[in-house]
Amino acid sequence: MKRMFNKQPSSITHLFIYALAFLILWEWLRPIPSVTNTGQIEVFVWFALFSAAMIYLRVNLVYMIPSLLIGSIYGLHYIFNNQAPFLSRDGGIETVKYFLSDFLYNFQLMFTWQLSSLTPFFRTFLLFLLLGLICYLLYFWIFHTRKIFFFLLASIIYITVLDTFTVVDASMAIIRVVVIGFFMMTLLHMLKIQDEEKEVGRRSNTFISSAWMYTLIFMILIATSVGYAAPKFEPQWADPVPTFKQYVLGESGTGTGTRRVGYGENDERLGGGFVQDFGTVFYAEVEEPSYWRGESKHEYTGFGWTNEPVMRDSYAVFEEEIDYYMFRDSVEVDELEVTITMGDGVGFNHLFYPGQLTSYDTDAHRYAVNGDSGSNAPLTFMTDVNAGKIIAQTANENDDVSLIEYTLSYDNPSFSINALQNDPGDDPESIRELYLQLPEDLPDRIGDLAEEIVEGYDNRYDQVVAVEQYFSRNGFEYRTTDVPIPEEGQDYVDQFLFETQYGYCDNYSTAMAVLLRTLDIPTRWVKGFTEGEEIDTLEDGVRRYEISNSNAHSWVEVFFPEVGWVPFEPTQGFDNNVEFYEEREEIEIDIDTDRTNDENDTPSNDRDPLVDFGENDDDFSSSPGSGSDRERDGGLLSTSISAKSFWISLIVILFVFLAYRKQNIIQNKYFLLRYRLIGNDETFKSAYQRLLWILSNEGLPREEDETLREYAIRIDRMLNSGTMSQLTRTYEKLYYGGQVADGEWDRNRSSWEEIVKLMNS
Amino acid sequence: MKRRDEASAMKQPQVYKMIENVERVVVGKTKEIELSFIALLSGGHVLLDDVPGVGKTMMVRAIAKTLGADFKRIQFTPDLLPSDVTGVSVFNQKTMEFQFRPGPVMANVVLADEINRTSPKTQAALLEALEEGSVTTDGETRELQNPFFVMATQNPIEYGGTYPLPEAQLDRFLFKFKIGYPTIEEEIDVLNRVEKTHPIESLQPVLSLDDLVTIQQQVKNVYVDESVKKYIVNIVNATREHHSVYLGASPRASIALMKAGQAYAFMQDREFVVPDDIKALAPFALQHRILLNSDAKLSNTTNERVIKDVIDKVPIPVGEKSF
Repeated sequence: MKRMFNKQPSSITHLFIYALAFLILWEWLRPIPSVTNTGQIEVFVWFALFSAAMIYLRVNLVYMIPSLLIGSIYGLHYIFNNQAPFLSRDGGIETVKYFLSDFLYNFQLMFTWQLSSLTPFFRTFLLFLLLGLICYLLYFWIFHTRKIFFFLLASIIYITVLDTFTVVDASMAIIRVVVIGFFMMTLLHMLKIQDEEKEVGRRSNTFISSAWMYTLIFMILIATSVGYAAPKFEPQWADPVPTFKQYVLGESGTGTGTRRVGYGENDERLGGGFVQDFGTVFYAEVEEPSYWRGESKHEYTGFGWTNEPVMRDSYAVFEEEIDYYMFRDSVEVDELEVTITMGDGVGFNHLFYPGQLTSYDTDAHRYAVNGDSGSNAPLTFMTDVNAGKIIAQTANENDDVSLIEYTLSYDNPSFSINALQNDPGDDPESIRELYLQLPEDLPDRIGDLAEEIVEGYDNRYDQVVAVEQYFSRNGFEYRTTDVPIPEEGQDYVDQFLFETQYGYCDNYSTAMAVLLRTLDIPTRWVKGFTEGEEIDTLEDGVRRYEISNSNAHSWVEVFFPEVGWVPFEPTQGFDNNVEFYEEREEIEIDIDTDRTNDENDTPSNDRDPLVDFGENDDDFSSSPGSGSDRERDGGLLSTSISAKSFWISLIVILFVFLAYRKQNIIQNKYFLLRYRLIGNDETFKSAYQRLLWILSNEGLPREEDETLREYAIRIDRMLNSGTMSQLTRTYEKLYYGGQVADGEWDRNRSSWEEIVKLMNS
Repeated sequence: MKRRDEASAMKQPQVYKMIENVERVVVGKTKEIELSFIALLSGGHVLLDDVPGVGKTMMVRAIAKTLGADFKRIQFTPDLLPSDVTGVSVFNQKTMEFQFRPGPVMANVVLADEINRTSPKTQAALLEALEEGSVTTDGETRELQNPFFVMATQNPIEYGGTYPLPEAQLDRFLFKFKIGYPTIEEEIDVLNRVEKTHPIESLQPVLSLDDLVTIQQQVKNVYVDESVKKYIVNIVNATREHHSVYLGASPRASIALMKAGQAYAFMQDREFVVPDDIKALAPFALQHRILLNSDAKLSNTTNERVIKDVIDKVPIPVGEKSF
């Protein structure tokens, strides 16, 4: 404190900065009523103003401390005992009495470390105390150390944290703080520069020119208004609170931030890594394990898959007729039954089924309409005959239907390899039209590769199997992280086949589908779930499976004109449970992949490309291209920001910031070390030159017309030493005197180091 | 010469013994005395541009006495003839031969007072002596004494009845400077000193002429680095290119500056010349060697200001960055 009283406040500019700092302090107080149960802040603001004024006027401590004490007691009185006026008999005196007893009581509490029991009265007093101290600190920062950046930074962090994590809306506060902060920093910096200049004798007054001031005001106002008025993107990152929750707790809540595994709807842009999510999607009670089909897609865009829905009423449900055929009658099938129960909080409006769906038990299903699980609104079903997606809806198309539990029958096929091999491959035109589509700019090398793979195989089945096995035989790697998303002009399959050669099911299934299509083999891309994890065995050989988001998967179905659609599994490490007679099974799948991102899906918003399984179903019936660009961006962004990269960037940024702030110190330390190592008589001249360089770097450059002696004297005066002159005399002897150094470095090394160290201190 | 106390703490003992001796007589003019000795040690001559009565004569006499040297004074008047300076041959009736009677210039230390009051012809006679170190009379060249040191004075130009020295002749002087009036305290000190007897009367030589010649020899051995030579040339050259200058300093100026620098370094007991020496001496060595153009004269620019300008502009050599 002493220090503060022995120096006059420097100028009106300082006072101005102090006032600005007070305004920022006010910003600290402003949100308090919103986030605590403190009722009023005016008292605190007045008290802070009072303290700041006393400190600025440098009132003697003997008067200041009692005044502030009385001020805070008045504040306490105002807050806690405002029935009686402060100056009346049972006004102020009562408060003082209460204050004293309360103070003693709380003091004891503090000694026994029962901090949580402190009374509100006492806490309020502590807040007054704190405000007084902060006012002094501000004074000290502005008038003595001339550094306010830390305070400003703390203010911005405080406000942004409040804005992010609480109900406080700080969108105006942040503007105020930034504007005020710019003023404070620039003015203070200007004053610092002026002081330095005065010290080296280049300037004689501290007056800030009005032209400079107007420029400053103009610049800040322009910058702020442009920043305020300019159009801005919507938040590109998800709301951090749920995102952090997700990271920290692994909750499958509102999967917005990152991309996680799961079943989504939008497959227009495949690629990117994902993280595993073991949240349950549904349970199934079934005899045979098999893949759960959600839908298929037929159009490959170069980036992903889309589907042109063709909706028909579903007969399967009501009339026990198959309305979405998978196989010809010639295929041997077992008719099986399955009961599916959705996991908590998971709701889809479409069915998942294995094999070929034959009937749906409308008596045994439960569902919710618009979240109401007791609804009896009758359901109707529609089938998208292009995708095999069977959607439940009520009479009102806008209702949000969530199936909770349902039972269905299906045909579980076994395929004869002979039949497949002998299939002539005469595909109907309608099939060729839909399932041989390829983008026009598909790179030729994909077709070339396909030809190469099937060389020597003469029938469709063998060719398909060759392609299916190509990946595992050629060193492709299964990987779920760091999988790139193709850039503009790049093809998803091409990237996978020829560049990365690693990926997950979407990569494998899409690649296989595209390879086969180049060979004129009709193929479609199917998404759904793998069989899941067996968790229980029930009676009659029925087993209970748990299907989680991590079971989301994609595979392919290949068309054989005489057999139907046969599933194949190109993804390494997976095995679909389709039976082939001669024991040749197809692959299974497994990992899931869908991209998901997106925010919470409230029912009926259209969008969400990849609704996570944990979310609602809804809107499946909306058009296929429902994923908007925005969502896609969200997906891209979230995949490129993993927790790891976030922390690494943060550390790097911090490091760079520190290095930047401390660059001179680091440099100087380096030279100290360097000349300790290489310093000798030969390097004396370069060491001296380096010293000139360092001094110039520190803002003490030699003027062109200044001789070394004059410069040395100036430096010595500034550093209050004689070492620079001593070094300079030695240097002169070597440089102007043409003499050869002999032990000069050893004699002068400590002087050299002393100056460099002084620069660092 | 500024900050001598800080930048050049070292003093060559013999030289400073002489300087202190002179200071017993001349009060408060250390800088001017030093400049005079620099000229003396480097074999140059000095032109004092000042009003009468400020102690010019006393300073020269004190220097002469300190050296135990032969001292002559020539008071230049409009009717002074060249032979009054150089000496004249007179017919000796005893030997029936012409005999040379040396003029006042035939001495070690010569004070040429009010040199601009005499005719150019007489001025030329002196200036030849300054340049050549010899005089020619009656077709015979006679060597001057060694050491030979001339201190000339002139009244400021604006005084009437004077013949300004031509530029070529000004160039022959190593330095031109003013002595100036003493401060009040110094003047009181002067009064105190001369109250009873004049201190010049009791001044004793502290060095022999032979010692002086030896010192002059040593001064020539002071090392001048190439970088410093380049600095000198840069300064002199900059006077030629300065926008206010009609006629810049000649190469003779470079030589003079270097030699003065050597002497100054020697006086500080240093074996080499540093740019500080040159920077300090340049104003005294250069200001009388340039002619301003008419624009500069009209705008009241002075020679001193131009030289200062030049010195401020020429970068000091401090060595290459060798890292």
